Amino acid sequence: MLLVARLAPAVAGDATVTPVPAAAWAMVEEEARGQTVYFNAWGGDEAINRYVAWAAQVIKARHGVILQHVPLADTAEAVSRVLAEKAAGRTRDGSVDLIWINGENFASLRQAGLLSGPWVAALPNAPLLDTHGNPTTVVDMTLPTAGYELAWGSARYTLFYDSQVVLVPPRDPAGLLAWIRAHPGRFTYPQPPNFLGTSFLKQLLFLLSPELARARFAAPVGADFDALTQPLWAWLDSAHPHMWRTGRIFPASGPAQRRLLGDGEVDFAMGFNPAEASRAISRGELPGSIRGVFFSGGTLTNSHFLAIPFNARAKAGAMVVANFLISPEAQARKADERIWGDPTVLLVSTLAPGDVARFATLRRGPATPESVGRGFAEPHPSWIRALEKAWNRRYGVR
Amino acid sequence: MSGLVLQSVTVSVGARQLVGPLDLSVTPGQVVSILGPSGAGKSSLLAFLCGVLPPPLHAQGTVLLNGDNISNLPPEQRRLGILFQDDLLFPHLSVAGNLAFGLRSASNRRDRGRIISDALAGFGLAGYETRDPATLSGGERSRVALLRVLLSAPRAVLLDEPFSRLDPATRQTIRALTLAQLRARSLPALLVSHDVDDVVAAGGPVVRVGNA
Amino acid sequence: MKFLAVWVLLLSALLPVVAGLAGTVQLDTAAWSELFKTPGLVQSLTLSVWTGSVASVLALALAHVVLAAAVTGGWSGRLRAASLPLLATPHLAVGIGLTLVLAPSGLLLRFLSPWATGFTQPPDWATIQDPLGLALILGLVIKEAPFLLLALFAALGQVPAERLVLQTRTLGYGRLKGWLVAVAPLLQRQIRLPVAAVLVFGMTNVEMALPLGPRTPPPLALVLWQWFTSADLDMRPLAMAGSVLLMLASLGMLGLFMLAGRLVGRVWRFSAGSGRRVTSASGGLMPGGLAVVVGTLGLASIIALLLRSIAGPWRFPAVLPEHLDPAAWSSAASVLPGVAGLTLALGATTALLAVLLVLAAAEPLRSDAVLRQRVAMLLFVPLLIPQMSFLFGLQILLLKLRLDGTLAAVVWSHLVFALPYVWGLLAEARASLDPRFTDTARLLGAGRLRVWLTVTAPLLLRSTLLGLALAFGVSVAVYLPTLFAGGGRVATLATSAAAAMTAGDMRYAAAHGAAQALLPLTAFVAAVVLGRVVFRRRLGVPG
Repeated sequence: MLLVARLAPAVAGDATVTPVPAAAWAMVEEEARGQTVYFNAWGGDEAINRYVAWAAQVIKARHGVILQHVPLADTAEAVSRVLAEKAAGRTRDGSVDLIWINGENFASLRQAGLLSGPWVAALPNAPLLDTHGNPTTVVDMTLPTAGYELAWGSARYTLFYDSQVVLVPPRDPAGLLAWIRAHPGRFTYPQPPNFLGTSFLKQLLFLLSPELARARFAAPVGADFDALTQPLWAWLDSAHPHMWRTGRIFPASGPAQRRLLGDGEVDFAMGFNPAEASRAISRGELPGSIRGVFFSGGTLTNSHFLAIPFNARAKAGAMVVANFLISPEAQARKADERIWGDPTVLLVSTLAPGDVARFATLRRGPATPESVGRGFAEPHPSWIRALEKAWNRRYGVR
Repeated sequence: MSGLVLQSVTVSVGARQLVGPLDLSVTPGQVVSILGPSGAGKSSLLAFLCGVLPPPLHAQGTVLLNGDNISNLPPEQRRLGILFQDDLLFPHLSVAGNLAFGLRSASNRRDRGRIISDALAGFGLAGYETRDPATLSGGERSRVALLRVLLSAPRAVLLDEPFSRLDPATRQTIRALTLAQLRARSLPALLVSHDVDDVVAAGGPVVRVGNA
Repeated sequence: MKFLAVWVLLLSALLPVVAGLAGTVQLDTAAWSELFKTPGLVQSLTLSVWTGSVASVLALALAHVVLAAAVTGGWSGRLRAASLPLLATPHLAVGIGLTLVLAPSGLLLRFLSPWATGFTQPPDWATIQDPLGLALILGLVIKEAPFLLLALFAALGQVPAERLVLQTRTLGYGRLKGWLVAVAPLLQRQIRLPVAAVLVFGMTNVEMALPLGPRTPPPLALVLWQWFTSADLDMRPLAMAGSVLLMLASLGMLGLFMLAGRLVGRVWRFSAGSGRRVTSASGGLMPGGLAVVVGTLGLASIIALLLRSIAGPWRFPAVLPEHLDPAAWSSAASVLPGVAGLTLALGATTALLAVLLVLAAAEPLRSDAVLRQRVAMLLFVPLLIPQMSFLFGLQILLLKLRLDGTLAAVVWSHLVFALPYVWGLLAEARASLDPRFTDTARLLGAGRLRVWLTVTAPLLLRSTLLGLALAFGVSVAVYLPTLFAGGGRVATLATSAAAAMTAGDMRYAAAHGAAQALLPLTAFVAAVVLGRVVFRRRLGVPG
């Protein structure tokens, strides 16, 4: 799309970029009118599906763009599809126009040349992103987004627990280990390579590593992998025998473990959305005694993103959709725990007063922890693969 | 020349010849009986005459009916009728439906209905038009089957042991009825049977078939 | 060219498979060496083989024994009706439901706690996802036994069961033993293909392994599934190589089963010759009891799923949830009609096409049992290969033809999986029609077409209706084919249920799963009722 290419300045993700001229954006909107945007997004959460349905309604009314949600069981399905299309030589009229992705997917998509861009800086709402306060919006697992993906929401690794049983929640690895040993069979974590499970490993690794070593994680994995991860395996070796199913069986996913928490089989769960437990309580999936907490030494943070495949048919439409999704109106509604509760990527303080008010009226649910201490950025993607492989070798096969 | 004529008819499976070569002539009103051991190919012979011989069987020879060579005609054009051991009344049709299936004369519904009712009455089955064939007795079913064949106005009739499933008392009645009808309409007929009484009642020539 | 219809049928079924395999099977030595370096590969493969074969044997034995007891005991009608719900519910739904029953926090222990067990918290037992795969085997048996039972019922039409049992009774055998000795072996010969399909599914499925199977390591199919769906694209060649390995393993097991079958047959005949005539006095009781246990577990799974879909907070050891909350259903109500409508349309189209293709091809083969069997075997090929092994290559082919994402491609992919069952039902039904009916009709003056329309078709109506329902049920249930052929743009109840399932949103998933089960169930009931009604005054019509 010539139009899009012309509009994208060389540097993206820089807060000092001048806003796009209104006339140029009007041309994008004009081109987008009447297009159907196939938005491939994980469809397993009906609250998110309803949010997307709401967005589709608004976008249709305001821009005449039809947002078609294609619910996926896993983002990798969309990745496979784009990959297959590339393998078949289809360079235009692809079946995917917009993908909701997170870190690992970006790296492989980018490296395989499956993404279109840069396009983010062409969006009028792009300057509203909190790129300084939240660097994960422009650096995705140590890879600069370079305008190829747009941050949509924020995530922090949160620990949820049953306050009726866990009177004082452990907030560091040593405390957690002590608690596990004192309460056999009541703690677990999702099995890697599930994203949440692997993130548990990353979180522990950060907390167990001295300050100097942490900088190392931003660089690719090297020969010092075993030495650096030794504290992690030592911790797991001590903890597993006292875990749920003696560390021989693990829940398949975060939601699966949330179910265990709700049924009373375990006392802990984890997630990337600090508001998800509150939402679960309001839907009756979790008892009211559940609370959330961050690790005191620092918590793993990242963002999730929107990306446009190289062969998307409705690129202009996808950009219009993306622009709406990071508008203050859409972000505030997304952050509303009654709707979804996903943290915003916008720098709220710099918004117009009316928009600031939108965010100010949002209430924090009973299980949503108070905002933050320190955040750890995600390590280089190669660490994920290496950790998963090592975990599988040690614990994945009995 | 009227009647049913078979010329040099052979029925084989593979290289083995089951029947023939057979030369046979059946005059109108005559009932030729065909005897032979089981599995000798008698039924296959009839199947060949009808034009429904299933593979792997194959046959050769000429079949003439009232002077016309019907050897290469499709079954529906041969104007032959057949009665099997089982009545084979179409279970999804009523008695009248079965009879109407092959009815050739009269094109409008009222006439056809009348013809069928009259035919049923003539056979002692008055009022049976809407009956379900499965609810009829063996004898009644044989009568309907016979009627069905006759209403299709065949020029010859083949009988493949049509009375063997009936109990002795019914068998006599039905046999007498069938043979009388055939004679009355001067239809040439071939009768395949094991039963000596059938052959005697048929009263026609007897042909032995089956190369042992 | 009288076999044109047969060729069209075979092409429809096999072209996608052949094309797909060609795309997937690649001689990538790097991938293969990487594959063999995977830790736990041997264990995963062994697990697949073990769970698949044990489940198949148990399901088969159970089906035979229960059928024997039911027919000789006179409750076969009730058995058929009772197995319908289990047949209609998709595998994934039953699997999840079973975890809700068997898990330490599941219904079973909730019923028994705390009065019988003394538990106030769920015990740390591995009742599901156990390392030996016993839960997985149980789940497979619950789904596959009714399926094999149905196949046996269908085979009953080919076997003079009553006469045989009568013969054995005159020889002094009890009813049950007489059946098992005389009838069961004959039935078994007829259902070899369904048994093969059950074996392959047991070894290569993802739907049951996901909720119930072990995880350290998982069965091979699940490992492949993880690789195929991994964000790391480098794992794909590995997955393709793995799917070839899985395919070879399932082919090997099929061969082994064939040999084992012959051995068992010999042993059976030998034991039949032992002269022991009567099974224990409670002959029909044990199979009946087993049927009740398995059936109850299955039904409980479905109930647990439905209950969970509307349950509010529900902590152990409460047997019932604190309160009901149909939130999931009301929110699903906005999405459901559209998805259900599409599923219905796809199913109806698949059903119609399947039945037409089969009827057309069954006609020229009506008197040739050997050819019919060959066609049946060829049609079963897609069921004897792990789905992933050819679906990935198929997707690439569809892309090249610009057919991916079209409804036509999806229907075709459904057709491939529906044809073997429809053929098994309808081709045999056609062949079992007394040929003398059509002979008589021809001689009464009707041409070929008129005979087919007025005699053959009505006599096949009941079987045709069941065939339609069968194909419809398959179309509604399949997940992976819709995913690949539809390019992700075609959302059926199966794909949306799977999406919700992996998310762990039980209520949303249960709502879709229940809808997914209701469609085929309704279709079956409609087929049976319609079949009964149409010929209610014609007692002699088959079916």
